[in-house]
Amino acid sequence: MLGVLAKYVMDILKGFWNLVLGLSVTIKYFFLKTNTYQYPDERLPLPERSRSMIKLIYDGEKDQFNCVACMMCAKACPNSCIKLEGVRGADGKRRVTTFQLDFSTCIFCGYCVEACGFDALTFVSEEYENSVYHRGSLLQDEQAMKWVRPSHLSPPKEEKPVVAVPSAPLGASSVPPAQGASA
Amino acid sequence: MSGADILMTVKALLQPVFQALGLSPTLQTVVYAALSAAVVFNVAAGLTTFLVWMERKVSAHMQSRIGPKRVGPFGLLQTVADAIKLTIKEDVRPAHRDKIPYFLAPIIGFVAAFMGLVVIPFDRGFVVEDLNVGILYVVAITGFSVIGILMAGWSSNNKFSLLGGFRSAAQIVSYEVPLVLSVIPVIMVTGTLSLHHAVEYQAVNGWWFTSLRYAVPMAVAFMVFLTSATAEANRAPFDIPEAESELVAGFHTEYSGVKWAMFFLGEYIAVVVSSCVAVSLFLGGWLAPPGVDALFGMMHLPFLPGYLWFLLKLLVIIYFIMAFRWTFPRLRVDQLMDFGWKVLIPIAVLNILLTGLLVLGA
Repeated sequence: MLGVLAKYVMDILKGFWNLVLGLSVTIKYFFLKTNTYQYPDERLPLPERSRSMIKLIYDGEKDQFNCVACMMCAKACPNSCIKLEGVRGADGKRRVTTFQLDFSTCIFCGYCVEACGFDALTFVSEEYENSVYHRGSLLQDEQAMKWVRPSHLSPPKEEKPVVAVPSAPLGASSVPPAQGASA
Repeated sequence: MSGADILMTVKALLQPVFQALGLSPTLQTVVYAALSAAVVFNVAAGLTTFLVWMERKVSAHMQSRIGPKRVGPFGLLQTVADAIKLTIKEDVRPAHRDKIPYFLAPIIGFVAAFMGLVVIPFDRGFVVEDLNVGILYVVAITGFSVIGILMAGWSSNNKFSLLGGFRSAAQIVSYEVPLVLSVIPVIMVTGTLSLHHAVEYQAVNGWWFTSLRYAVPMAVAFMVFLTSATAEANRAPFDIPEAESELVAGFHTEYSGVKWAMFFLGEYIAVVVSSCVAVSLFLGGWLAPPGVDALFGMMHLPFLPGYLWFLLKLLVIIYFIMAFRWTFPRLRVDQLMDFGWKVLIPIAVLNILLTGLLVLGA
């Protein structure tokens, strides 16, 4: 009986102390600086690779889109948002003529950007205010998506192809395989 | 410009008016009482406007954000904007409501809250009517609001509202007991139920925390009172009846526009009244903290009038009540009952015993 009573009293005292601790936290935060960015006067700086808006890169010097209409982005897109056409020019090289991305179905997964091998598609992190009044304006063509890379930004690094190391012929291994390990 | 000066000026201004109208003394008292009640009502309503803004700012800064800042300087006109919005809102009423209780419920909730302001002493002699049963009156009137809540819950023809009404009635009735019990030690020591006399006692004998004998029981009583008062006002962490995540909006689900605003206002005024009572009974009402008047005299600073000290203390208490809302998780209804009956009441009763022994030991 005495134990029950002692526990009851200790519960009350511990509970009261916890309440005081809780209050101390909130009251401390009351006096600290706020973390609010006052949009639209101040904007939150977005991380470098934020997936804000997809743009079709236009090369200012060569005066043409980087896109060669290889259709890899259209194949990669899970929602089939991308439709494009290209022609083989006089110099024998293919170039895109029309490029349409339906942003009303786009999920910004970035598969198209990853799939592109010609640095033609990219995310531009600063452009995130993309609300429109008419749903039709979300179907953007290549002129709406045109974007010239600023000179201070560098194109993504080309990765060196990995040189394949030939594996040892079967049966000639000097290292005994581990028990039960699979290849 | 102390409270007594203001009263004298007003009475001096009213006398010729009364003479000119040829009113009998009874009628003069009635008119004077009605006038003071009207003034207190308006000041309280104005204070509530400020308090809504204060709640939004306090809650915002506790959450590392800013709160209203664009509507008027520092967002002070935000409550005005909200009030205008509420008055022009469509009055949506359930088709199968019980019409008379539905209409009367917000009025009762609203009026019951404001009636408590009558006995609060804002400065020496600055009460609408210093009833000699002041504390009893306040407690009785705050319990009156439960009728409004039950009527709202029942008449809405909505199961969630009904449950909200039941829970609120249970909560308010349960927390009346520790509310009254926590006030009894003060009554025992001051020997009076009148709030004005309780502050007078503290004026003569010093604030409670300066008294070696009564500091501890009064501190405990203060904390029990504050907790019971937040429960009486249906404020978090005791806001199950209007728990937005549990019962839609509890008993005031089916109320829109002005009717909802009256419940909301009633809740804030209940907080204000309870805080006023707490300030009067436990924190010395209109008195400056001990030694401050002497300090101001030495530093040749102007003395703050009593009602400003009252307001300052009131704002501190209300700040804490707001901090409770944004710090503590909501109590489940059975935990709420547990806490009221099994924790607060034993503490309050033991406090009465302790105070009784201390009074007798004099």
